[in-house]
Amino acid sequence: MLFASPLIMHLEVFAYPFIFVSLFFEVFLLVTFFSSPARAQRDRKASTKTPYIAMIVPCFNEETTIRGTVDSLLALTYPKDRLSIVLVNDGSTDNTKEIMDTFAGNPQIQILHKENGGKHSAINAGIEMSPQAEFVGCLDADSFVAPDALREIISCFDNPRVAAATPAMSVYKPETLLERMQNAEFIFGIALRHIVAAVNGLYVTPGPFSLYRVSVLKEIGGFRFGHQAEDMEMALRIQRHGYEIDNAPRARVFAKSPQTVRGLIKQRTRWTSGFLRNVSYDYRDMVGNVRYGALGIMILPLGFIAVAGGILMFFLGLFMSGRQILSTILVTSGVPLSYTLSPRSLEIFYFPISTMLILSFVVTGGILMFMVLGKRVSQTPGTLVQGMLAYLFLFPFIAPFWLLRSFADVTTGHKRSWR
Amino acid sequence: MSLFTRNVVIALFITGVIIATVIYSVSYLDHQRIVELNDIQNRLATDTLSIDTQFALLEEAPCEDLTEGTALTHELSDLGDKLAFTEEKLGATNPEVLRLKQQYTLLEIRDYLLTKRLANSCGLHPVIALYFYSNTPGSCADCDRAGYALSYLRQTYPKLRVYAFDYDLDLGALRTLVSVEKVDAQLPAFIIQGKRSYGFTTLEDLEKQFPKSLFATTTTATTKVKK
Repeated sequence: MLFASPLIMHLEVFAYPFIFVSLFFEVFLLVTFFSSPARAQRDRKASTKTPYIAMIVPCFNEETTIRGTVDSLLALTYPKDRLSIVLVNDGSTDNTKEIMDTFAGNPQIQILHKENGGKHSAINAGIEMSPQAEFVGCLDADSFVAPDALREIISCFDNPRVAAATPAMSVYKPETLLERMQNAEFIFGIALRHIVAAVNGLYVTPGPFSLYRVSVLKEIGGFRFGHQAEDMEMALRIQRHGYEIDNAPRARVFAKSPQTVRGLIKQRTRWTSGFLRNVSYDYRDMVGNVRYGALGIMILPLGFIAVAGGILMFFLGLFMSGRQILSTILVTSGVPLSYTLSPRSLEIFYFPISTMLILSFVVTGGILMFMVLGKRVSQTPGTLVQGMLAYLFLFPFIAPFWLLRSFADVTTGHKRSWR
Repeated sequence: MSLFTRNVVIALFITGVIIATVIYSVSYLDHQRIVELNDIQNRLATDTLSIDTQFALLEEAPCEDLTEGTALTHELSDLGDKLAFTEEKLGATNPEVLRLKQQYTLLEIRDYLLTKRLANSCGLHPVIALYFYSNTPGSCADCDRAGYALSYLRQTYPKLRVYAFDYDLDLGALRTLVSVEKVDAQLPAFIIQGKRSYGFTTLEDLEKQFPKSLFATTTTATTKVKK
């Protein structure tokens, strides 16, 4: 018998704590989804107020998407004299500058070309160019907003404690399997943000179309270097100062997603290592701190558990599958393949039902359910089925790579370029 | 109590209920498997006793009326498959599994003896293989391979009757069989057509131990030999 040690034989016991935590978190999300703050968030109408808003578009080599991004901002259903668009070219080396300059005659648009200084410096420069703005928003130059998105998101600020608001983000025109997978994941994220915002647990204000109250930015300081996750650093700083981050589930924004697995791994490595570095280095005091409520007690610790669990489950799965395959090869060697491959009994007696199997199905079903909820709540167009299938069968094999890479980068202090 | 705390408490309670329900359901299904095995075992015990009794009653001409013995052997191997699956699932030390395994082993020994008696009385020539294995970790490196090869042979050749015994099972009748057949603790061990052999190398080598007459026919029956 192979690997006869009882500990190795029952390695799956290591998976139970993660399955328990996943199930508990899903149930918590579902309970919170039906609680009054989340319901109020969903029932909230688009605002009719028109405070002065500056939308900042930091750009670095975005020649292929910048025009579409600006066009979508110009199409926002918001009074043109109450919305200014600030395009900040952060030292692009491609045609971004020339394309930006074609908007120079538009009275709504301000353009700034500067030397490359990082995303945070571009946003700060944009804020400085909009002294009259009551709110500033950021929109990555590879993202496109729905026309009513601004009216949806501005309604979050009726609560004076809200310092920032996040949108409902999905993938722009997903076509390939990889894009559809990311779209399903983003839509899961819509549900997640919507629900977690109800207990003020958000720790990131995504680059595509998050909005900030300028008075709070002035109080806590502008954007700063945040380990290539400046939106996360800002969100954590807002939370540390006792403000709230809300979510507008119908403020739809569509972001271009990486087209290749390599690109996806690079992007997610940046996000994950950004989380690990920000929380481990600069905001460690918030982890497990009851003062920060759901964020401190549950969301931030779960972020670490998710990274550790993803890596552990990957190796566990790899080892157990490898062991099974090796054992099968050894046991069946010499016996005709036709016998090995012939179907075995379909009697229900032999159906391999186990606690682990059923709980795994429940947890997976929960993820799919939240994807459906995210799509319904945000009224995101398009179909989800292919994306869900791609998520189920591709994501578990790709995600471990960026988790491992991020973990390795953070532990070794290795820094990677943005692109 | 804050909304967050309230929701955490509710979520913990619901998670507990879900996990308890799943554990209960799986345990109920496992219990149902045991019940099914019990039912098969009881039926087989009655059938075996019935054939045994018929054999005694029809001392003079038992052969025409005892052809059902073959069907019994097939059902016995089906029970063996299910028991092996249950053992793998619940563990070899599970008391219910051990009890069922002891009863199954008794049925196997009875069927083996009955088959031998029928063969002697009726001039039949079944090919019989006794196979001794061990489930104790580390004590039989080749038992998995040997069991799989025997499963293949039994499926392919209908005349072959395989009786598999867990050498370590604490059962008086099995100890007696081991003693009568003089089987040493070098596992896997085989007694094929009365000849003892130890160890397993390849399927080809195992096949050489069987009489050539065995390989004259084929079948589509699907059964697996334990371990």
